[in-house]
Amino acid sequence: MTKEETVKLISSEGFEFVIDKKAAMVSQLLRNMLSSPGSFTETADGVVNFPDISTTILEKICQYFYWSLQFSSGKETEFHIEPELTLELMMAANYLDT
Amino acid sequence: MNNGEIQSLLITKCIDAATHSMNAVEKWRMQRRSLERLPSPLASALFHRLLIRRLLFPSLLQAFKYSVEEVDLSGENAVDAEWMAYLGAFFYLQSLKVAGCVRINNPALWPLAGMTSLKELDLSRCVKVTDDGIKHLLSISQLEKLYLSKTGVTAEGVKLLSALKKLSTLDLGGLPVSDMALRSISELINLEYLDVWGSEISDEGAKTFKNFSKLGLLNLTWTKVTKLSNLQSIECLNMSDCTIHSLVENESDQVSLRKLIVHGSSLPEAEKVFSSIEPSCFSFLNLSNTSLSYFGFLRRMDALAHLDLSFTAVQDDDAEAISCIGVSLRHLNLNHTKFSNAGLETLAGHVPNLEVLKLSNTSIDDFAIGYISTMPSLKELDLSKTNIKGFLSQISNEDDVLSLAALQDLKHLARLNLEMNRVTDEVVHVLLDFEELSHLSLSHTLVTDKCLEHLSQVKKLVNLLIQGTLLTNGALESFNPPITVEALDLRGCWLITMDSVTLFCKKHPGIKVRHDDLSEPSVDHSNTSTSVGTAQKGSKLSKLKQSDRKSSLSPYSFKNKVLGKLHIQYAFSSSVLLKFLA
Repeated sequence: MTKEETVKLISSEGFEFVIDKKAAMVSQLLRNMLSSPGSFTETADGVVNFPDISTTILEKICQYFYWSLQFSSGKETEFHIEPELTLELMMAANYLDT
Repeated sequence: MNNGEIQSLLITKCIDAATHSMNAVEKWRMQRRSLERLPSPLASALFHRLLIRRLLFPSLLQAFKYSVEEVDLSGENAVDAEWMAYLGAFFYLQSLKVAGCVRINNPALWPLAGMTSLKELDLSRCVKVTDDGIKHLLSISQLEKLYLSKTGVTAEGVKLLSALKKLSTLDLGGLPVSDMALRSISELINLEYLDVWGSEISDEGAKTFKNFSKLGLLNLTWTKVTKLSNLQSIECLNMSDCTIHSLVENESDQVSLRKLIVHGSSLPEAEKVFSSIEPSCFSFLNLSNTSLSYFGFLRRMDALAHLDLSFTAVQDDDAEAISCIGVSLRHLNLNHTKFSNAGLETLAGHVPNLEVLKLSNTSIDDFAIGYISTMPSLKELDLSKTNIKGFLSQISNEDDVLSLAALQDLKHLARLNLEMNRVTDEVVHVLLDFEELSHLSLSHTLVTDKCLEHLSQVKKLVNLLIQGTLLTNGALESFNPPITVEALDLRGCWLITMDSVTLFCKKHPGIKVRHDDLSEPSVDHSNTSTSVGTAQKGSKLSKLKQSDRKSSLSPYSFKNKVLGKLHIQYAFSSSVLLKFLA
């Protein structure tokens, strides 16, 4: 996997998640950041900081990205969400526009 | 509402998970910091889903104190003073709808006093709210919209409203508003919408309307008002069930209405009334149930887009006047009139933009279809209870010509109603070639099992009504509905049994089926949310959810039924207990 094909998402606690660029594109916000020409430093580095999203939630978000890719290619599996994560996850989803 | 606007699949899933059960709610309801940060649309969606799932109770309202801006509890029996106490403490509440919440009384409104954010309050049909309740509302300084129809408020209470200077919408429908009360609220110069149907306002009071210089919509249904003096700003006027003499002061004056509804009114000087309406922006006219006998005034109304002439004496001779409206006309209702083939012949070719045509309960027959097929923009066609059979009997030739086939020229036709006509299966066959057909009613026709076979090939079919026909179980079992179908109504198909319907529902969980043996339309929430395949299906799902939501807002009876059952169970178990103790 080359560097161009992945992006690094960093949680508020500093945990890094390296995921496929394709998966990150599930988020409209990341899609805009990563594909818009110039302006964003994120476009060049492939690193995005989320000072408002905790590690637990960011992990769940990454799982969702991959689940969503599978889902849109027709594979139907359950995406389980623990009730205690719902509020934060909802807000993160809202922010990431996914 | 807000819930319907949530497009994100992940957010939908979160809301599903959060409202799965009371246990799930307990897991997040103490996360105070998150709850405070929750954006209002998300909070609103979560709030209303809890309501639908019967998981909302007064102390849980607290959780939404800092996030929810709009609350709609309309029709919820449980809402009482305790609920209102929590709602009154909502920091950012802008809109509160508690229409029909019958337990709300005057003291229950007290917590709303002094709210600074509230702009909209709907208390319609809260019958226990009276003049004393109004006093609590007077300190809500930013209130812009207030709905008080069918409450216990009297003219005295209405007078108090003059303190709410920001009011732009005021619904006083069904209240005994007197001329005097109306005069005392004439200071509300920001009023844009005023509803005083069924009030005691007379011509004397009607002079007050002049003070409301921004008034755009006025409903005077069922009042004694017969004359209006020049209302400059008025756009929509509803004077149904009134006697109307004039809409202007002097005969030469003109009023620039956009919309006029005079359903069931008597118009002794119709000619004069209509000549005072400036035609250039007059686009909506409802004359249904009026006793008019002359419709010549329609000739100059060339901007009319919507015309309702149902239950009037309109007949074929008036078609010429209607055809003068020409290109503007989009919606024409001729239900229950003497309109016949000849009238349609006159209209043919003159109404190229007509989208909706209603001819139910008229004497038209299959010859009319040829004329209808010359109206290229038609999207909706109601031909129920007419003499249409679907084919023209040829005397010279043995073969019948299918008349409905002419409608294939209508490339936009999406809704077709053939109820109560002597339509047979061969005629249904023609419908296969209607590309846009999505809503079809064949209720109480002569169709049999074979028609379902044909209908499975109608590509865009969404809603199908086949009530009261002789369909059998076999037909339903072999019916392979197009993927687009969302609803199927089989009520009154007495040959179809419960088992067969249940089997069909299992096979097609996305379709809402109605049948006499099913108490509720059968769409299983949990079932549909897991069985979604493609993105296309996903969008269908969200639509389903929306419609599901809509239906779950209203079914009062269902709730009561369930409650009733619980009561019975409870009574039963307690009697068993009593026996045991004895």
